[in-house]
Amino acid sequence: MVNNTLLSLITFSPLLVIVVLMFTPKQMVGTIKTIGVLGTLLPLIMSLMLFAGFDYSAGLQFIERRDWIKIPIGLDQNGSLTFFPIRYEMGIDGASMPLLLLTAIIGTLAAVGSWQMKRRLREYFILYHLLLIGMFGVFSAQNLFLFFLFFELTLIPVYFLLGIWGYAERERAANKFLLYNGIGSAILLLAFIAIFVQLQTVNFGELQQVLTNPDDPLSGYLSPEYRYGLFVALFIAFGIKLPIFPFHSWMLNVHVQAPPPVVMIHSAILLKMGAYGLLRIGINFFPDQAYEFSVWLAVFGLINIFYGAVLATVQKDLKMVLAYSSISHMGMVLLGFAAMNSIGFQGAIFQLVSHGLISALLFFIVGVIWDRTGTSTITELGGIAKSMPFISGVFLAGALASLGLPGMSGFISEFLALMGLFGAMPLHAAIGAIGLIFTTIYVLRAVLRAVYGPTPSRLTRLADAQPMEAIPLVVLLGVIILIGIYPAVLSDPLQKTLDSIVPVVTGIGG
Amino acid sequence: MTVPVTSYLLVALILFCVGLYGALTKRNAVIVLLSIELMLNAVNLNLIAFAKFGLHPAITGQIFSLFTMTVAAAEVAVGIAVLIALYRNRETVNVDEMDTMKR
Amino acid sequence: MDTILHYAWLIPLFPLFAFIVLVSFGRQLRGGASSVGILAAALSCVLALVIGWQSYQGAASEKVLVEWMNIRDTVIRVGYEINSLNAMMLVIISVVSLLVQIYSKEYMRDDERVPVYYQYLSLFAFSMMALVLSPNLLQLYIFWELVGVCSFLLIGYHFSKPKAMLAAKKAFIVTRIGDVGLLIAIILLFWWTGSFEYSEIFKTVALGKMEPWMTTLTAVLIFVGAVGKSGQFPLHTWLPDAMEGPTPVSALIHAATMVAAGVYLVAATYPLFLDSQTALDIVAYTGGFTAIFAALIGLTQTDIKRVLAYSTISQLGYMMLALGVAGAIGYTAGVFHLFTHAFFKALLFLAAGSVIHAVHTQDLFQMGGLLKKMPVTGIAFLIGCLAIAGIPPFSGYWSKEEIISAVYSAQRADLLWIAVITVFLTSFYMFRLFFLTFTGKAVSQAISRAKDPSAVMRIPLLVLAVLAVLSGFLNMPFAPLLENWQLAGDVGESIHFAMPEAAELHAPWLSVVSVLVSLAGIVLAYLIYVKKAIAATWIARPLPWLYRLSNRAFYLDEIYRYGLAVPLRGIGMLLDLFDHYLIGGLVQLAVKLANGLGGLHARLQSGQMQTYGLIVLLGIVLLLIGITTQGGVSFGQ
Repeated sequence: MVNNTLLSLITFSPLLVIVVLMFTPKQMVGTIKTIGVLGTLLPLIMSLMLFAGFDYSAGLQFIERRDWIKIPIGLDQNGSLTFFPIRYEMGIDGASMPLLLLTAIIGTLAAVGSWQMKRRLREYFILYHLLLIGMFGVFSAQNLFLFFLFFELTLIPVYFLLGIWGYAERERAANKFLLYNGIGSAILLLAFIAIFVQLQTVNFGELQQVLTNPDDPLSGYLSPEYRYGLFVALFIAFGIKLPIFPFHSWMLNVHVQAPPPVVMIHSAILLKMGAYGLLRIGINFFPDQAYEFSVWLAVFGLINIFYGAVLATVQKDLKMVLAYSSISHMGMVLLGFAAMNSIGFQGAIFQLVSHGLISALLFFIVGVIWDRTGTSTITELGGIAKSMPFISGVFLAGALASLGLPGMSGFISEFLALMGLFGAMPLHAAIGAIGLIFTTIYVLRAVLRAVYGPTPSRLTRLADAQPMEAIPLVVLLGVIILIGIYPAVLSDPLQKTLDSIVPVVTGIGG
Repeated sequence: MTVPVTSYLLVALILFCVGLYGALTKRNAVIVLLSIELMLNAVNLNLIAFAKFGLHPAITGQIFSLFTMTVAAAEVAVGIAVLIALYRNRETVNVDEMDTMKR
Repeated sequence: MDTILHYAWLIPLFPLFAFIVLVSFGRQLRGGASSVGILAAALSCVLALVIGWQSYQGAASEKVLVEWMNIRDTVIRVGYEINSLNAMMLVIISVVSLLVQIYSKEYMRDDERVPVYYQYLSLFAFSMMALVLSPNLLQLYIFWELVGVCSFLLIGYHFSKPKAMLAAKKAFIVTRIGDVGLLIAIILLFWWTGSFEYSEIFKTVALGKMEPWMTTLTAVLIFVGAVGKSGQFPLHTWLPDAMEGPTPVSALIHAATMVAAGVYLVAATYPLFLDSQTALDIVAYTGGFTAIFAALIGLTQTDIKRVLAYSTISQLGYMMLALGVAGAIGYTAGVFHLFTHAFFKALLFLAAGSVIHAVHTQDLFQMGGLLKKMPVTGIAFLIGCLAIAGIPPFSGYWSKEEIISAVYSAQRADLLWIAVITVFLTSFYMFRLFFLTFTGKAVSQAISRAKDPSAVMRIPLLVLAVLAVLSGFLNMPFAPLLENWQLAGDVGESIHFAMPEAAELHAPWLSVVSVLVSLAGIVLAYLIYVKKAIAATWIARPLPWLYRLSNRAFYLDEIYRYGLAVPLRGIGMLLDLFDHYLIGGLVQLAVKLANGLGGLHARLQSGQMQTYGLIVLLGIVLLLIGITTQGGVSFGQ
């Protein structure tokens, strides 16, 4: 088989930028910014190439397999050492492709958004590109080992980006971030080791083959209880990342304290890694257990939706509103998973992409508002639509997208997730639908109060968007509307991949 | 007359224990360094003894001990240099006062 | 026959194009913005009229679908469909929309954000037309929400007024409650029938494949959507507040078109309702109750637009009542009233807009004697009042008469009483409005200076006045043109299928009674507000609580505020504390624990190199002892 190196190129292209940045004198601020921003175009262009070359009729593609590490595990009958090979395996399918593309897009836009950064730019962009490597890697890794490696790789740059460039309580937030994610990673690592020790493989494809095929000789090694335990462990590990109530408090701090571009990345991509992992590793490998657990998925989803929504209605800080709204929206992802049918999964993946775009847009705008007014407290704002009509208009459009207005991506995802769940658990789904009302309440409350209403005299002279700010806004809004009007752009690549997940699940009788 | 290998080993053991005792208990850093030299020499003695009386007698052990001596000399030089630098800064050669890494 | 129905999809595209142009170049266009909007509206109006005519002539209904999204084996399609019902709706929407846009050109002349205004209006026209053209429920829902957003944007058009902002927010949230009901209904129907298409759904229902309870449930949930959009009790509270928007917007969205979307929805899914008597009863009683309830509130309002808003709610209730009593005649009566109401209510609002434009107040008691100053406006308003009061030969008479006879045919005495009493209340408060505004003496300077608006505003008024008079002739008992048209399609067939025996009980005396009742209302209003023969406070004085109840709209807003909004906030605050202290506290505990463990560990690290050495020594000794007692280690083999 011919190795396709495109994914590796995408993943490691930020490395080139890092090297270049290392040799750029740190006084050359303009050059550093330019390199940092233009550098993100490299993976973006390659991701678009990948999107263009994506074969809708195939499942896993752009596969690359190389020998990498050999672990000696013992002697065979002839007395020679046997090795367990850990390969370098990359590949992509319909579920990860949209997320990879999303990463590339947000990666570029958030870099553009970093234009306003002022301190220690070289370190900032080096860490930023390191973060990009981790995120690309997570979505293209095809075995547990690589997945974990990249998953962990994202923690380090975020820790520093948050701890050095954040707002007042940045260090606390960074520590909390590391503590929570460290616990999650520990659980994740244990689960991975347990899987590896029992099944002697880390490759996604092989694992799925073994785990979902009862006739496979290795399959018997894992009792249903053992699998259930593993699934729950994975659920908790990824749940911390997602985040699922009650593991969410770290994420609030990150959203409030991190600099705007990092929050964009964080809420648009990093949270999605949890959901992606839950789907790719949790549900994909343990469909029976996931099915058993699906009622709990739905219940946790509902708790997330309502808990996030109700809390968002009383927050005073726009960032907090958005942070709780992320919790609420991630609940919708869980509902989509809980449906355990193709419509639900599709809805969940749509919701991942859609929320990624919308939250990036909203956080970016909050960053701009902060830049102009020095505050993000709702009561201190108001009436800024007079002087910033463009920003305010886009903000309102983003808010409407966030509350699921048809014609924008948020509607499709919530509609599909709920529709899927109605097929499985109508009552839970009906309750989830009521959550849409709550979403409306908190979104409108926050946006209308912050942007509209009477204009206080100190907010009458604010500059509207500059070109560097307008680009990300227009691009994000454009993609949001594109997906909303023509969802096939996202759903068509998914079909083949859903085939590989869903038959296994629906075979149980769902 | 041949001295049995155990005698060599016994001397080496005593030497090593003396060195160890010194390294772990003495407060003066110079003495600690000296003690470490003692331990190294105990090892050298062992190497030479086994070079002659080992299962496969060979010259390797003696060459190895030569290397050890060279390295030990270098190490002492570095050690003393560090010690002097420390003394200039802290005006002490007491080992138990050298806990900057902890503070 | 090659019909022009093939081009029906163009109708909504004109305003959409105008919207895109205005969004992109609105700021450069400035004054030209209104022309873009009006041109697009005129084009779609012409096309809609032609298509309406063809459909009336009996052109076969048309449906075109394209694939929109695949979910493995489920294909979701979008497209458009033309049948008699939505052809009629298209005519209403495009005509009123065109007239309102022309009217707005003058009305909004001094506004800074005219391009934005026309953006919203064009977007609304697009969404509303696309809504009625939708061949399936999902597509309908998409545009259903979009018209809601347009309504929200236009209510909050003067965003720096906190009242407008709050009204917009309220409108969005309250209608959203209904929308969720509709959404659930759509999804449930999908899982039961495997399709979003009307025709597929009706087929499944007709074949009896749906459990009766499921039919009832989905029909009721659809009706919940209609309740939200059409301002039926208990979700009507947003509509009066929506009057914060510019008056032409109120005429277009909150009187003629969008609020009628609920009625349209029930009519479009009528076969589903026909299958469930419970659902029909719920529709009928909700409609009837809303009609009389809103009329009672309308009696005491002092804001000219709020009176009209409550009358809209009341009339929408009437339509629901007609649909709810079922049968071919009820269906036509409801749709017919929707048709006539669109014109006379738009007329009333635009006339009210002219008044407000001239005198800069909305308070009834700040007006008076305007008939002499503004004769055209006054006459137009009078025509509207006569139409809504149901005085022959104005349009409202024909449609209302039909509703009452439909209720009578269904032999529902309770609903009949409600309908007749509402007729009385309606004519009373409408003429109270008319007399207070246009007769009597001018009370302020502004009024003495008031005069009729310019031609740009007058022409829409005149056109609507003519329509308010004439549109009723479309469906007179002896010449039921509209009925024949509307019942020709699929929906009509299924109505005949469901109720073959829906014979109409003709009762000429009923018509006489209703006209007399209406006249009684007018006379009473005349006696109180013109002749002052009866004190206006003759009920309010002995029973002040009754007056307050009506004036404050039965305190429903307050009930919602203290029953729902405040508790929600309270729960939010509590949860916030919970989140902050309990969950945050647990985190702190975890942190403390980790710190404590770390501290304990740190104590072992004395920093004394020699202690470390000793520990290493002890470790080696232990290791050696272990190895020795275990029999040693073998290296290699």
